Amino acid sequence: MTDDSPVDRPVALVTGAGGGLGSAIVTRLASAGWQVAPSSHGHGSLSADLAVPTQARSLVARVIEQYGRLDLVVANHAAMAMATVDEHPVDDWWRIVDTNLSGSFHLAQAGATHLRRTHGSIIFVSSEWGVTGWPKASAYASSKAGLIGLTRALAKELAPDIRVNAIAPGIIDTEQLRVDAGAQGISLAEMKAHYAAVAPLQRIATREEISASVAFLASPDAAFYTGQVLHPNGGTTLGS
Amino acid sequence: MSFCREGSSREGSYRERRDPVNRGPQPVAIVTGASGGIGAATSRQLSLKGYRVAVLFFQSSSAAHALAAEVDGRAYQADVADPTAMADVVTRVEAELGPIAVAISNAGTYEEVALEDVTDAQWRRTIRIHLGGGFHLARAVVPGMRARRRGSIVFVASELALLGSTHASPYVAAKSALIGLARSLARELAPEIRVNVVAPGPVDTPLLPDRDRRPEYVSSIPLGRIGSPDEIAAAIVHVAEATWTTGAVYSPSGGLVIQ
Repeated sequence: MTDDSPVDRPVALVTGAGGGLGSAIVTRLASAGWQVAPSSHGHGSLSADLAVPTQARSLVARVIEQYGRLDLVVANHAAMAMATVDEHPVDDWWRIVDTNLSGSFHLAQAGATHLRRTHGSIIFVSSEWGVTGWPKASAYASSKAGLIGLTRALAKELAPDIRVNAIAPGIIDTEQLRVDAGAQGISLAEMKAHYAAVAPLQRIATREEISASVAFLASPDAAFYTGQVLHPNGGTTLGS
Repeated sequence: MSFCREGSSREGSYRERRDPVNRGPQPVAIVTGASGGIGAATSRQLSLKGYRVAVLFFQSSSAAHALAAEVDGRAYQADVADPTAMADVVTRVEAELGPIAVAISNAGTYEEVALEDVTDAQWRRTIRIHLGGGFHLARAVVPGMRARRRGSIVFVASELALLGSTHASPYVAAKSALIGLARSLARELAPEIRVNVVAPGPVDTPLLPDRDRRPEYVSSIPLGRIGSPDEIAAAIVHVAEATWTTGAVYSPSGGLVIQ
């Protein structure tokens, strides 16, 4: 891909690009030769609140306007908050689902027309918690589980033009982990040790390990993958 | 229906099963989408097992009231997509029938639509009915169940959540999200409250699209036929009462889900 002139290089829209994993995905895809269109809520010309369907459509339109084509959508943005099911304020619970699941759907819907033209692909960033469920994370885990169903549905519906896959990563070493530790009143080191203890590989993931899974699914090496979920999680879903 | 008749002859009439003198306080079950299909079959089987059933409906008032009379339960109108309405109806059920032991989230719609044709309102409504149906019901029944240290919740999903579908992405996403909700709540609410999923394959109800009745499709089902509402109801009641089962996804689907 790197031999092509900039105007012909494939374009990847990455949402949640300002976050820990998002910035690693941007770097990794750029080094693999992609032109990356990074979207981050509240920052820059590709800012979008993806809980709002019209903003998902406007984001895709702005990418087409600025880059002229679309070959890959990486739906990586996410909202997160933890509470028990009966104590989680109902509006906040739905804001998480509307951002993570509905936002990804509206992004895929808006991108599909352009991706059909380029025979592109979609990658949804789900989560280990979407596979296993997680206490006090019912909104987040529901939204991430929904993305796995959406992956299977759209993979069937959009084949053979567009490939649709997902990753369901385990715990990643990002700034979010510090925030989560603070919310639970423990140190970052304790937080990491807690998650490492339940993974057969005895550690949490680096951002680079997870972005590598995204880059693989986006690459020609994964041309026969659709409807699949990669689980880079250190073995946690094998059980502790 | 044959299952019900068998059950009736073996276990006595609904009213005999409910004699409070002989049976003690009756456990209460709440079933959403109870007026027809899988919900009605589930209500009948729960009644035969000795539950007093709150028959929840949204639009089919006469069918729900007839069923409630048949099973000696009570019919209640509520929109499962509305969290306030669900909280209110659970309060009424517990005041009128007693504490809820079993909650079945079954209400749903099924629409086939191509990705590009899904309207914003259609997506939102589908997510609110299927995922919200489970969330709003669980939210309403959990405080009482937790206080009593006992309860069982079953969400009715679909085999399509596990297999995908070429023509119903909002439905598939919503049902798949419901599985994530069940798995989270199973962990969060253990050991007092169990939460499980039944993910049926194609069942002979009015919601079943004609394409799933075509011989060429039916012959692709390993067991060679679509399911009956009674077969799914039996799975729901079994899982509801399976005391060492939580966070499970059980798919009675004629062999469509073999994984």
